Amino acid sequence: MKHLKPLNAKARRIDADLASLEEDVVALQQAPRPHVPLGCSLSFSPGWEVDASGGTAGLCQPVERDIYDCYVTCFWPVQMADHVNYSADWASNCAAATKDWRSLDIVFP
Amino acid sequence: MLSRSRLLKSLRSYTALIAAPLALAIAGAIPAHAGALMLGTYPDKLFTVDDASGAITDKIKLEAGLPVSLRLSDDRKKIYATTITTSGMVVLDAATRKILTEFSLNTPTERYRFQGGVPDPTGRYFYTVMQRFDKLSDRYTVSKLQYTVIDLVQKKIVRTVDMEPQDDALPGGYRASLMISPDGKTLYMFKNKILVIDVATMKVVDRIDLQKADAAGYEDVQLGGGVEGLQLTHPGELVSLFTASDPFVHNKIFGLGRFDLTARKFTFTPIGPITNQISGLEITPDGKYAYTTATNGATGNKRCEFWKFDLASLKLTDKEEFHCRSRYTLGMSADGAKIYIYGASYDIEVYDAATLKYEKTWDLGADATMAGMVALR
Repeated sequence: MKHLKPLNAKARRIDADLASLEEDVVALQQAPRPHVPLGCSLSFSPGWEVDASGGTAGLCQPVERDIYDCYVTCFWPVQMADHVNYSADWASNCAAATKDWRSLDIVFP
Repeated sequence: MLSRSRLLKSLRSYTALIAAPLALAIAGAIPAHAGALMLGTYPDKLFTVDDASGAITDKIKLEAGLPVSLRLSDDRKKIYATTITTSGMVVLDAATRKILTEFSLNTPTERYRFQGGVPDPTGRYFYTVMQRFDKLSDRYTVSKLQYTVIDLVQKKIVRTVDMEPQDDALPGGYRASLMISPDGKTLYMFKNKILVIDVATMKVVDRIDLQKADAAGYEDVQLGGGVEGLQLTHPGELVSLFTASDPFVHNKIFGLGRFDLTARKFTFTPIGPITNQISGLEITPDGKYAYTTATNGATGNKRCEFWKFDLASLKLTDKEEFHCRSRYTLGMSADGAKIYIYGASYDIEVYDAATLKYEKTWDLGADATMAGMVALR
């Protein structure tokens, strides 16, 4: 379709939109998903601890049960230390978060 | 001379003296279960747990960091673990639980991200899908998803091939399950489509569309059960739950799927209407029964049930509600007599596989990682 040229503003916007797909700029929702540097800095899902419905009723009880798997998957990145980049030792003195969460290391961003 | 009553009392005592050690000896020699469980725990260990008593028998510290995947070789002789902290590979002897090989792929300027993978039948190579991150002087570079071959003898990556964009676009990323054919020549990646990869070239040679698989006739077919939901009944055949819709009124159903790793053939057997969620699949060592967990409702109305299947007749034969956690994983003992609920916690809940009734809880004192559980005989 290279012989087609946009003639009006709307057609030019469509053309620009299609051209942008060939560039190295992609939306987070776009498939294939963008490949971003390792770590929690660019993780936004969901940002803080909520369940699948957006509430808190479906969270692990107590929430400390869920801390560690969020720690390595960046699922709770606002409150959670970043295991792969900066805080690999955050949990080194605390094997069971529910029992001895006071032994978790303190992280200063 | 002893009186009759004293004689009987002495005999009873004598019998008791013999019988008690004998009973203990028999109990010790023939335990109810003769296996162990291995699972990853925070912050950097593998625990082995006696599956009769729940006692922790080994705490294996991993220098490579936190384990995020565990896999038993098809011959059940080796255990392969990967770690996230340093992108590590650990190989253990399944009998002695000793570390045979341990190394990390990360360097100060190179990092990798991968979840699990599959060893080749010789145990020399480990196949996975990963991303590489290079720290340059002014920026990071991020690779595409790559099919990767790790040489476990040289302790390094020996081959990578970029994943094609059409395969990268399928959901699952580097967490999609991998299987290998018994001859070690074909790798399978289980996404919405089954990617058939030639090991010699690490190129996709076929894409099996489950919607068009043999005898399907359904739409929106998905393999269910998560990573732990793919079970080998023997080295050549994979069994999985699947969910699908009929193409007319779009009723959602679930069933059991079987995949022949040599012939690359799928067969689906629908069983019934789907609940909210079906997760996990565990098959008894004799291949006769399978167990999964089904979840209905959410939050306060959430109800979980064990479902037991007869694999010969492919019928759902038993159900039992159990107290479910917000997030959990299903496991099974090596002899198939017990089923376990674990994950997102420091304990394992034990249920009897025959009655599906709760028995006890084992406290491990350390949170389990998402590496899953390996049952050792």
